Amino acid sequence: MARAPGRVDPILYNRLAVLRAERGLTRQDLADALGVNYQTIGYLERGEYNPSLDLALRAAEFFGLPVEAVFSRRPFAPMSSQLYGSGVDWPGSGS
Amino acid sequence: MTTSIASRSRVERLSRRSRRIVAVATVLGLPSMYAWSAFWTGTSVPAIAWGWAVFALMGVTLAGAVVLYRYVRGRADLADAGLDERERALRDRAWILSYQVLATVVVLLGAAVVVPVLAFGHSVTVDAPLATAVAICLGVLLPLLPAAALAWLEPDPVGED
Repeated sequence: MARAPGRVDPILYNRLAVLRAERGLTRQDLADALGVNYQTIGYLERGEYNPSLDLALRAAEFFGLPVEAVFSRRPFAPMSSQLYGSGVDWPGSGS
Repeated sequence: MTTSIASRSRVERLSRRSRRIVAVATVLGLPSMYAWSAFWTGTSVPAIAWGWAVFALMGVTLAGAVVLYRYVRGRADLADAGLDERERALRDRAWILSYQVLATVVVLLGAAVVVPVLAFGHSVTVDAPLATAVAICLGVLLPLLPAAALAWLEPDPVGED
């Protein structure tokens, strides 16, 4: 069962806000795609609501990513440090 | 319930703190009105001096009920239609909180009747005005409780993108 809104733990971290921004989606767009209220997307992003497994899988499927790339029990490292700290040779990185 | 950002009214943007104030005022308005009336009725103070507060307290419950129902917009109803999983979880918590509040009130009212009788040997008279007041309060407030509980529980609304 999903964690009820307004409770604080256990925290399930997610990258919904980043992924949504990357794709230029509004909360309403993502809410429509997942079939939920846009407020639910906001509460998910703020960590005030933990999704059910079904909703988490649907979100991951929508972004075309494995669910562990979208949700985690531990805080995500910033994407920039993950990308640039992993030895990947990005254009303009000077390496 | 899938409402869009554009359709949000001012009531739907109320902060949790404001909603909690409205919820408490709504639930306490009517019982306070009866308590206020019972306190002054039969005294030598003219009704003109205290009667305005009766209407004010009734108005608090009435206005609060309108605000709560507009905020909740059917999300406290038992039907699942139109609710997503968060809203269903919130609705269930609101009903649980309503039951807890109701159970507490029933226990306190029961204790107010039973304790004086059993502990002190007093007699307790429940007359028609008191029974009517309790019945009206329960009749008006019971349907309101889930909406008030939902407004109490829901976190602050999410801002615009």
